[in-house]
Amino acid sequence: MSTTTTEAKGLKETDRLKQIDFKMISFTLAGKDYGIDILKVKEIRKAGNFTKVPNTPIFVRGVDNLRGDIIPVIDLRVMFNLPAESKDAASLENIVILRLESLVLGVVVDSIEKVVGISSESIQPPHPIFGDINIQYINGVVENEGRLYIILDVDRIFGTPEAQEAPAERASEPAAPEVAQPAPGEPVVPLDLQFVGETLAAFGQFHLSPLNREWVSERLKEWKADRQAKGLDFQVTQKDEAEEFLNSFPSPYTARIWPAEVADTLAGLLAFDASSVVVWNPGCGRGQESYSVALMLQTRFPGKNYKIWASDNDLLSISTAPSLILDDDELDLSWKDYTVQAKNGLQFNSDLKAKILFEFHDVNHLNPMPEVHLAVIRDVISYLKPSDQEKLVTELTDKVRTGGYLLLGTHERLTHPEWKPVGNDTWSVYQKI
Amino acid sequence: MRVEYINPFVEAAYNVLTEVLATEVKRGNLFLKSATKPVMGVAAIVGLAGEVEGRVLFDMSKATAMKIASVMNSEELTEIDDLVKATISELANMITAQAVTKLHELGFKFDLTPPALITGENMEISDQEVEALIVPMESPHGNIEINVAVRERS
Repeated sequence: MSTTTTEAKGLKETDRLKQIDFKMISFTLAGKDYGIDILKVKEIRKAGNFTKVPNTPIFVRGVDNLRGDIIPVIDLRVMFNLPAESKDAASLENIVILRLESLVLGVVVDSIEKVVGISSESIQPPHPIFGDINIQYINGVVENEGRLYIILDVDRIFGTPEAQEAPAERASEPAAPEVAQPAPGEPVVPLDLQFVGETLAAFGQFHLSPLNREWVSERLKEWKADRQAKGLDFQVTQKDEAEEFLNSFPSPYTARIWPAEVADTLAGLLAFDASSVVVWNPGCGRGQESYSVALMLQTRFPGKNYKIWASDNDLLSISTAPSLILDDDELDLSWKDYTVQAKNGLQFNSDLKAKILFEFHDVNHLNPMPEVHLAVIRDVISYLKPSDQEKLVTELTDKVRTGGYLLLGTHERLTHPEWKPVGNDTWSVYQKI
Repeated sequence: MRVEYINPFVEAAYNVLTEVLATEVKRGNLFLKSATKPVMGVAAIVGLAGEVEGRVLFDMSKATAMKIASVMNSEELTEIDDLVKATISELANMITAQAVTKLHELGFKFDLTPPALITGENMEISDQEVEALIVPMESPHGNIEINVAVRERS
């Protein structure tokens, strides 16, 4: 699919959109606005206390531990000889984590503002008058809503010597074409959807994929109408907007114990031949979902032995799971038989707890699991990177027995030859064939 | 790694190090890692068996190993000799044993193998994509990284 047709499609959709084909994260350095192409940005975070490395240029703040990966951290203000507030060593700095071709690194900036969508045509070549930063590191300048942004060419700033020697085409050829070139055979993603997807990935850690595209498109329509009514731009540019966009994504009864009649509706969709049922529940959070599944199996499939492997990569949540304190008022009366009054409050009894094994585990790592009859993984896959999403779906297909079930989030849909949808509006259930 | 196993290891490491070094020890943030990992210079490995399978790896630089051994033996040690090796092995044994004892009290049955000590430059530990819990401990004598990989027999 060529770029031109993709753009043509965008044109039809809204007039505004035809202009927006380049997105950048905007931030400030010494009071001036700068931008970096969003496609080069892996994430943003706050961090401090970097480990100093001896014998490095002064703009190298040190190295930082990004969830186990050691990345260099560079202070752009020092690098460009701009005044930098001196903070004490322990305070947190705003960091933009960049993913370049050959390396991942963090850059320290004054403040991170938002995502700005602009038209690549409006990017103008740099002029020597913007003298703070060497002109060869600037991709161009652009004006948006009365502010002038200097777009940095991070590949040239941090890239390898070869990349720097390569003839750089500046503002005349912006990075936009890279954005809109789906591989042959892949469905074309409309431009506005793609932009929203990029912002959600940067701010909400939510990744647009075939699994959730249907929901995101629907939500986008609703969002546009809603924002228009309020007289606002429909673009999602900030963290709180991304959160607002996603707030209707989580499945019903997330992070609470399912009421009995809700568990019944799910049980009605499932049938197990084996006498012993193994369940896999990655991303279980504080464990409410795992306990709910246990209660469902316990009461609706009597006589079956079952074991639930639950895991989460958030240490704080998973640590509280084995002794989850229940809210007496919210708990369905019919579950009362399975609870016991402990020192700190109402908990599930030890028989039920013994059925669930809670692990501190990252689902992207090797999953040493036996084959399972049911995988409960609601609203988890959408928050993984697209490549990890594919890997996990393959692994799920591998791990679930033929005839077994996969329960996805209410708004997640799977199209796969080995999975047959058997769910309804509330439960996105698939059976392996 | 099963949630119930985490605290015993963290507590045992903290208790034993505070006691034998007679100084303030700080625990860094716990995280999970699944990749080949370079060894800092001295590594003690204790294997675990029983209801689970796995191992605990204590990793530190040679300088840290010598300082810790010096404090534990109340004498100045300046090279990695038999005494330093025996001391670090014993430290690994003490921490793992205390963790296993705590786990026994919680009803989990583990056995442990005698510690093995490995020293050298530019070494890597590669156990095929095993997910490990990393417990970084910081002391005035240097940092020790405790790398716990335990999994249920399924």
